[in-house]
Amino acid sequence: MTTERRPDRATSADVATGSDAAHPSRRSFLQTALAGGALAGTAYVALGRDMSAFAQAGGPIVIGQHCELTGGFASWGYWHNKCGAAAVKLINEMGGIAGRKVELVTEDTESNPATGTRKLRSLIQRNGASFVVGSVHSGVMLAAIPVATELKTVYFSSGEATEATGEKGTRYSFRTGTDTYGLAAAGAPWAFKNLGKRWTIISPDYAWGHSHYKEHKAVVEKLGGHVNDPIFVPLDAKDLVPYLTKIPQDTEVLFSVFFGALSVAFYTQAKSMGLEKTMRMYSVSGTIEAIAPADLKGAAEGVYIVENFPRMAKYKDDGFHRDYLKAIGTDDVHGRETGSERVNAKSHSWQNWENMFALKQAIEASGWKTKKDDKGVIEALEGMQMANALGHPQGAKTLRKEDHSGIIDCYISRVENDELQVKTKVAKEDLAAMMPVRFDLSKQAV
Amino acid sequence: MSGGAAAWIGRGGLALLGAALLAVPFVLPELGYGFWVNIVTEILIWSLLAASVNLLFGYVGLLSFGQALFFGFGMYGATLAVIHWEAGFWTGLLAGTLAATAMAAVAGALAVRLTWHYFAIITVVFSLIFYFAAMSNKTLTGGDDGLSFSAPAVFDMAGVTVTLADPLAQYFSVLGVVAACYAIMGVVVRSPLGLAFAAVRENDRRARLIGIDVYRTRLVAFVLAGALAGVSGALFAFFGRYASASYMVYHVSGEAVVWAIVGGIGTLLGPLFGTALLIVFRELVSTVWENYLFAVGGLTVLVVMFAPLGLAGLWRGALGRLTAPRAAPAEAPADPVAPSADARAVPGGR
Repeated sequence: MTTERRPDRATSADVATGSDAAHPSRRSFLQTALAGGALAGTAYVALGRDMSAFAQAGGPIVIGQHCELTGGFASWGYWHNKCGAAAVKLINEMGGIAGRKVELVTEDTESNPATGTRKLRSLIQRNGASFVVGSVHSGVMLAAIPVATELKTVYFSSGEATEATGEKGTRYSFRTGTDTYGLAAAGAPWAFKNLGKRWTIISPDYAWGHSHYKEHKAVVEKLGGHVNDPIFVPLDAKDLVPYLTKIPQDTEVLFSVFFGALSVAFYTQAKSMGLEKTMRMYSVSGTIEAIAPADLKGAAEGVYIVENFPRMAKYKDDGFHRDYLKAIGTDDVHGRETGSERVNAKSHSWQNWENMFALKQAIEASGWKTKKDDKGVIEALEGMQMANALGHPQGAKTLRKEDHSGIIDCYISRVENDELQVKTKVAKEDLAAMMPVRFDLSKQAV
Repeated sequence: MSGGAAAWIGRGGLALLGAALLAVPFVLPELGYGFWVNIVTEILIWSLLAASVNLLFGYVGLLSFGQALFFGFGMYGATLAVIHWEAGFWTGLLAGTLAATAMAAVAGALAVRLTWHYFAIITVVFSLIFYFAAMSNKTLTGGDDGLSFSAPAVFDMAGVTVTLADPLAQYFSVLGVVAACYAIMGVVVRSPLGLAFAAVRENDRRARLIGIDVYRTRLVAFVLAGALAGVSGALFAFFGRYASASYMVYHVSGEAVVWAIVGGIGTLLGPLFGTALLIVFRELVSTVWENYLFAVGGLTVLVVMFAPLGLAGLWRGALGRLTAPRAAPAEAPADPVAPSADARAVPGGR
């Protein structure tokens, strides 16, 4: 940059003292540009984002999506985001919700509860989201629920910690999928009967793992079995061998609950120690989400897994399921994305798709126009029946009125030749019978 | 113009800042920027953590990467008081501040015996020890998941209850506490104690020779900074209705160091401006780019390169140029407690 000298502004004394006010040097230019750019950027972006708060009753319906796009749950969050976006695209192609276009705004929780809370406020207060399809990270969703409730906004969790629709649930918190209570009810009796009566649970040291331990222990002990002390692994652990060596020798069923890199570490290190030779390996879908058994080179072979939505389409073989897979772009055997190596977090990500359609059904049934009509949506969601359809490809289900929990079909599968082969199906009616209502959120005030 | 004029301009700027902060919750929502009231609240809270770094580094010459420890103690003190004792805002704030102050007294008794990088390292070590202890003590702290709670009452008397769920109550409670902290800090750094801080920072041997108890002076500064960080942590817990051990890790302290340096160390309000710049920048960029931390880092590097005395240094420079006689070299207004160039360059002040 060249600077034209202006006699009215610069003197030799100024030059000697380095006075920036006297003449625009490179430094002062950059300082000014920096400050000016920051101010202009602030004004521009802030204006563009906050104007959505002015959405009118007849304008677009803004739905927020609270997703783990980065951080520990990013491999799942990618699919939650993709499924939610695909659902909104389809809904808009079908004419929107009650004739109104749906505008989807997604914020990244960074797989961090504190950031997630900030981003939730951003979705609701900055972007004007009327409803939020929320996090699959148990810590994030549990931190989000009090804020969503305070801001009087319906929040769908998709993580499994049962507290979200239990002791920390509110009139505004819903979950169409299963929680640890439901998964224990669906899978533990079958595993107890078919795999063994002495259990050890190994899981990450955070809400999801603790919640699984608590719920499974209750079921196994009620059936007359024994559950050893749990083994909780720090979330940042890389080497699981020190934890695997703590597993008691008399264990008949090793119930593991991990995700992402910890899952890979668990399966490969457990296999190398030959644990599957002395005990039966049992898990929930989260442990194999976004992972193809083939990529584990046989380490997951023989593991029993409770699925919420069978990865192999042939086990829920209908047009809705296949159309759904086509819409989100995955194959019908391994759940792999077309043109990439990514594997769908299929047992959880369907909730972002279905929650959009659940909201559509509730909004249209209640005649919702603006936020002041939220009570109608909440009442419509409580006890809502969802038929097996393209909007609900996981299958017919009920959003139970009292605890706002999804009552769905579950599947117990086994990894055989790198495929998840379903061994038995637990029908939603049986699941409902095995998980009596413990909390009634429907009596809380809106 | 003279130094007196500079002082008047400074006071005018402060009054303007005060008026703007008072107007925030009324004006921004009217303009459709209601969400930004939260961001301003967050800036106020985090700026106290940066101010605690500034009190140690800018005024006493001790660079601490352990302020997150006291932030965490403040956070948990407040949260546990709300959860277990059903404490309101003020009781919780007191509990958090006391917890942080007590921890700072214990850690400081050992840490301030050291200076330079040894001091920085021991503050990181303290932070890590308690971070891992908090993460593993899940029953008490909630570990990585943290603990969440509903908005407590700010005012509960004669059948009238106002909670933090009321946006105005939340904003003015935070603003009031933060303003009080800055006011106290302003009094302290201009008091004889503040002069002792500056003396220790500039040359601790000379300070000792003139009768200043260097150890005690550093310890007092450390405990005061710990208390400030604790207030910040308690306020942040109330703001987020949440506490997590993840806030006790040293990178949270690192962020506060960056905010303080960008704002201008050794200046009372520098940390507030540094925090404001970087949080607003983060908030804007993160909505359009998930890897926004690259941009935040880039901005920080630019500010440090082209405004090494921080935003407060820019302000002082501008003020100096405005008020200095035309023929005289432009210098910042004299400030007896502002760090010398040497002290800024070398933690420990030598």
